[in-house]
Amino acid sequence: METGYVIEGHGIGKRLGSFVLDIPEFHLPKGFATALIGENGAGKTTFLNILSGIRLDYKGQLQYFGQYSDKDRENNPLVKEHMGYTGPGNYFLPQWKVKQVAEVNRLLFQNFHEDRFKRLCAELAIDTGNGVGKKVKELSDGNRMKLMIAGVLARDTELLIMDEPASPLDPLMRDKLCEMIRDYLAEDEGNRSVFFSTHNIADMENVTDYAIIMTHGRIAEEGFVEDLKEKYLMVKGNAEDIPKAQSALYSVSTNKYGFEGICLAENLDALAGCSVNVETPSLSQISVAVMRKYSQLGGVRDKEA
Amino acid sequence: MIILQNSGVPIYRQIKDQFKADILAEKYAQGEYLPSIRSLAKELKISVITTMKAYEELESEGLVTAVPGKGFYVNAQDSQMLREQHIRRVEAALSEALAAAEIAGMSDEEIRSTLEALLLLRDTSV
Repeated sequence: METGYVIEGHGIGKRLGSFVLDIPEFHLPKGFATALIGENGAGKTTFLNILSGIRLDYKGQLQYFGQYSDKDRENNPLVKEHMGYTGPGNYFLPQWKVKQVAEVNRLLFQNFHEDRFKRLCAELAIDTGNGVGKKVKELSDGNRMKLMIAGVLARDTELLIMDEPASPLDPLMRDKLCEMIRDYLAEDEGNRSVFFSTHNIADMENVTDYAIIMTHGRIAEEGFVEDLKEKYLMVKGNAEDIPKAQSALYSVSTNKYGFEGICLAENLDALAGCSVNVETPSLSQISVAVMRKYSQLGGVRDKEA
Repeated sequence: MIILQNSGVPIYRQIKDQFKADILAEKYAQGEYLPSIRSLAKELKISVITTMKAYEELESEGLVTAVPGKGFYVNAQDSQMLREQHIRRVEAALSEALAAAEIAGMSDEEIRSTLEALLLLRDTSV
């Protein structure tokens, strides 16, 4: 496996009321698309805001591109030149017109290509108004997200941090987003990375290389998707084996006629003698199982170190 | 290349098998580089890690060699080596069959006669 990390973090922490973000170690693989998955309130946006420099009040150290600290990120413009961010917030002022978005990007970033921005706006079918120029506040959520995506992709960056890019997009545009992420990664083989949060795991699975599953402010599970699919198995069986399944499986749901659940591959032997059907789970099934497991436990907190 | 999403065969294995067939059919020259993992992922509309796993499987079977930072190139295909590889696969499959036979409580004699019967079936169906 290729090594190298685009961001490394140590002892990242943030307390917001009763919520605690606590990430002792964080490694974002370089050259891949990584998905950040977790239920509402798991801390995904807080974490992405810390990484992208939107939130500066946190504990811990971060290293970017193997050489820059988080202080450099704020003081050395070169670091943010190499990073792009998209998110749900009002990143552009509501009264700006699409044309002004391009102007501001050009002023802020040396690596912004206006011609590429125009091409991307056309490709993403952003409704800019009939030549008059629509204001940002007049755009739908989906179009605002597309405008942000066009803005970051019009720059030559090495890392994209995207907070819920797929949520406001329609199915056709989600497919387009996946395509654009693959294009982005392929354009500079192994040197570009994408880190995005998503609830639409199924839509994004074919563009997810590495997955980080968060619950209650902590990382509950992470790994390359192909490795996770070997670690966990989807098991289905009949009603008479439910008691055995409930003790052997990682996460299980039952009904009158049988059960289905996620089993750690190493524990499959515990079901010996049961008539079960075993298949490779989807990332979505693995994620739900991990989230369900920890939401029952009330968090990762009590997990042994 | 045809990738089936719901065939039950993992996507990385479908890719590996098709490259393997192409390499063994000498559609790639010795020393020729396979498409880069990210460009292949882009073309096939799948994740990078899936194409990477396919290439790593090809490497572990000795069909290609990885060059860090450059990609994967096709090895000289030695027919003796390929035969040995296939023999190893046969051994692995037979070991698996023996493990299943043990669970089923088959005697050595029963195992031998099953194999004989299968050989007979193969020869008559050709």
